[in-house]
Amino acid sequence: MSAPKNPADKHAASNGSSAKVPPAAAVVPPAPAAPAKPAPKPKVEIKEPVFNPAYKGALLTHDRYWPTQRWKAPWSLRSYRRGALALGALLLGAFGLTAAVGELAPWGALLQSAVSGLLSSSFAASGVWILLKVLVVLHIILVAPIFLVWWERKISAHIQSRLGPMTVGGWHGWLQTVADGIKLLFKEDITPIAADRWVHRLAPVIVVIPAILAFAPISFGRELAAADIDVGVLYIFAVAGVSVIGIVMAGWASGNKYSLLGGLRSAAQLVSYELPRSFSIVPVLMFAGSLNLTRIADSQAGYWFGVIPRWYIFYPVVGQISFLIFLIASVAETNRVPFDIPEAESELVAGFHTEFSGMKFSLFFLAEYAYVLLASCLTAAFFMGGGGSPLPWAPWTWIPSWAWFLAKTLGIVFCFLWFRWTFPRFRVDRLMDFNWKFLLPWSFVNIALASIYLLI
Amino acid sequence: MSAPLVTRQDEFLKTDELFINLGPQHPSTHGVLRVGLTVKGEVIVKAVPDVGYLHRGTEKLSEVRGYHHCVVLTDRWDYVAAMPNNLVFCLAAEKLMNLQVPERANYLRTIMCELNRIASHLLFFGTYGIDIGAFTPFLYAFREREMVLDLFEMACGARLTYNYIRLGGVMSDITPEWTSKTREFLDYFKARLEEYDSLLTYNPIFQDRTKTVGLVSADQAIAWGLSGPNLRASGVDYDARKFEPYAAYDKVRFEVPLGKGGSCFDRYFCRVREMGESVRIVEQCLDQMKEGEFMAKGVAKVPKPQPGEAYAHVEGARGNLGIYLVSDGGQSPYRMHVRAPSFINLAILQEILEGKKVADVIAILGSIDIVLGEVDR
Amino acid sequence: MIDYFKDVAAAAANICKGLWITFRYLWKPSITVQYPQEKLVPFERFRGALLFDVETCISCSLCVKACPSSCIDLENAVNEAGKKIAKVNWYTIDFGKCNFCRLCEEACPTKPKSVWHSLDYELVFANRDEMVRGWKKDFDFVGKYFNRKLKQWLAPEWQMQIQTVQARR
Repeated sequence: MSAPKNPADKHAASNGSSAKVPPAAAVVPPAPAAPAKPAPKPKVEIKEPVFNPAYKGALLTHDRYWPTQRWKAPWSLRSYRRGALALGALLLGAFGLTAAVGELAPWGALLQSAVSGLLSSSFAASGVWILLKVLVVLHIILVAPIFLVWWERKISAHIQSRLGPMTVGGWHGWLQTVADGIKLLFKEDITPIAADRWVHRLAPVIVVIPAILAFAPISFGRELAAADIDVGVLYIFAVAGVSVIGIVMAGWASGNKYSLLGGLRSAAQLVSYELPRSFSIVPVLMFAGSLNLTRIADSQAGYWFGVIPRWYIFYPVVGQISFLIFLIASVAETNRVPFDIPEAESELVAGFHTEFSGMKFSLFFLAEYAYVLLASCLTAAFFMGGGGSPLPWAPWTWIPSWAWFLAKTLGIVFCFLWFRWTFPRFRVDRLMDFNWKFLLPWSFVNIALASIYLLI
Repeated sequence: MSAPLVTRQDEFLKTDELFINLGPQHPSTHGVLRVGLTVKGEVIVKAVPDVGYLHRGTEKLSEVRGYHHCVVLTDRWDYVAAMPNNLVFCLAAEKLMNLQVPERANYLRTIMCELNRIASHLLFFGTYGIDIGAFTPFLYAFREREMVLDLFEMACGARLTYNYIRLGGVMSDITPEWTSKTREFLDYFKARLEEYDSLLTYNPIFQDRTKTVGLVSADQAIAWGLSGPNLRASGVDYDARKFEPYAAYDKVRFEVPLGKGGSCFDRYFCRVREMGESVRIVEQCLDQMKEGEFMAKGVAKVPKPQPGEAYAHVEGARGNLGIYLVSDGGQSPYRMHVRAPSFINLAILQEILEGKKVADVIAILGSIDIVLGEVDR
Repeated sequence: MIDYFKDVAAAAANICKGLWITFRYLWKPSITVQYPQEKLVPFERFRGALLFDVETCISCSLCVKACPSSCIDLENAVNEAGKKIAKVNWYTIDFGKCNFCRLCEEACPTKPKSVWHSLDYELVFANRDEMVRGWKKDFDFVGKYFNRKLKQWLAPEWQMQIQTVQARR
């Protein structure tokens, strides 16, 4: 065996000189035909290897993809610079766009006046306005998961030193989820023989409908709520709680033992975590003195010392404990790692949605992301001042309230994704211990602390 | 422990046991292993591991193949760490043939086996993370494993089935470039090990999941014939590299990490620390190695050893890997028997799974670290 | 009580450390190869698809004996007198059986090697005929397969060759 040369050098040399070296034929010159006398064996000519210029894709060497090489100077990588530039441009573009559009309420008023000009009765006009609001909100819920899934895949990929989807849509696979959605639509809908047919069919619907309904009272910025009801918080928790039934139904009706275990686990988990989740926001409700989400958000307006926003998360001790418990319980409510025991991939295959395929499966998926979004919206409204600007100065106050709300929501969503790709999974009984022996007592203690605040 | 809780419910409710087939197609059985679980709610009543889905009969196949050919077969047992497999067969065959291996070859064997141990334990680390529910450590581990595989590709041309360690030496010598790349990897890897610790080892959820489950006492471990990290996690100080040194292990200094309680966490932690020791061994070997022959002189093309028998064992990535070879003077072994550590370690599963939760099954199964290619051979 | 708070604080600290690690990796360049667009060149010793040179082969059958899975087969050529000569008439490698173990290459006595591993790793077979690669006089190093339906030798066009002029050992 000859002494191995560095393939990198060889590759570079061959690539560099491929233009000069004429593409030599791969065939070795044939031996002379029928020699008269036993001639000495023809010396086989050994040519320098030539790398295939027509080879699909660039030829690379291993060195370039060793982390030791890649991480040495990230800014010298063209792709890294381009990615950073794209990210910066995206943020700047979003800033400019939102600042240019401004508050949505005036546009809405404009629209309403136009509509009421067309329709004579004021009742019909207000009905149309409500319908428009509902449509806007519904689209936020139904379109956001498409974006969130892509976002999750990209963030998880980058956390794991990968790139994630890169092909569909041209730029960083931004249409990947749309393609996946279309694929799911066209997939065969399989109902197992052992399944309880009607319950099996009904389960995804029961999971997804509350997920959409629960968004009604959320104010996506100033005067942008589908239904500005006074018991908004109570309504959200009540409606969102219904989804558990759907999950249990899915687990039971699949006729699969793993699904059954997953369904039972989720019943226990979701019902348990409702409690600390509700109790953790009691201090917020006490401070705000209202169950109306818009009013809760509005009560956080203003700044301490002109700098620190009066958000509930910044209330010393109480705010932080409240926020953390709410965040943890929300992660648990949305069945995500580290609380994803109902679908625990490595234990229960896929938990309660093992036997669902096609659009039924995607409804579960939609519901999961809708709940992530809901939890993030609630966190933003309860603890981060809804649509309020974090700083009272000029460039920040240009951004309208709905954009701030969106930004805060996405920030919390990022936390959800970040947790998911960092933590291992709890065990069922430890999960319950954590809930009943840690979160719940501390949420009670927190309520007591909050009451002391109110007394002072 | 909620086992009593479930039995108490029996007095009021009629409950039924549920039989679950965990595998052979399951995300976390690490291959085609089937575990028949009888559960009451989430608590395991009975667990029966069922093996044999990947049986290829390599022991029988070796009886019609030459000694050189058998090395190729050994690659296919524990395909995650094939170097020790190659090595153990070569050690046994060399015993039969009275072959003296050159010094440099011994060092090369040690280096390759330790690098392979790192690769194998990285795979364990990653898949154990997935079993417990953390996905990211898996990809981090594979990122590093990829570098080890690149090193193997550079040294012997294959990434998984190496056929590198041969009768009388190794397939080919390493190059200075390989050495520098290996050092680059080792430096890089030491920093990564610390990250693994903060990412998974000291994660409270991970510790909570693993520290109290799957306890194997030292007596139990010996009685069931455990070996490798599984045995050492129970506090039994036995490592073939230390107590019956082969290759160049008597010339390097390293520690044998020991666990205390024999829990899943101990088994995990033993492996993680073994990776650190492997780094030390490889570095020392690279420092100590001198120029020289990498293959013994006069290895027959078709070896026909004298009639006799030989047993060799090495500390493979998964435990004590042994080979019993009988020669009748022909050109292929009369009988080859493999003491496969995965197979023997797997047996304890039925004892330690009882009374645990379904989630613990995965944690325990993962912590035993089996490779089905070796279990079924 | 103090221990309780200590435990909680330690757990929180460790959780934050883990989060910090994943957050840091979020900003590091990826290390993956975008496969169909980017392709790696294997190292020189890589054991890819086997190549064979009819001209250098002396038909000694050492590779046939060296192969652990007996995937190599050959037939001596004969001259006009009907005597065997040191040339192959045909030579086949069954890639369905091949272990890619390099034993055949090592056994080959000719210089340069008559059978050796290329760097090609993009090797796909759609049917059994394609797995059996054969070489006859004037065939390329890559060889051809015999399509039993069409009764003719066809070139394996699907085998992506990294080198147009292959390196030889």
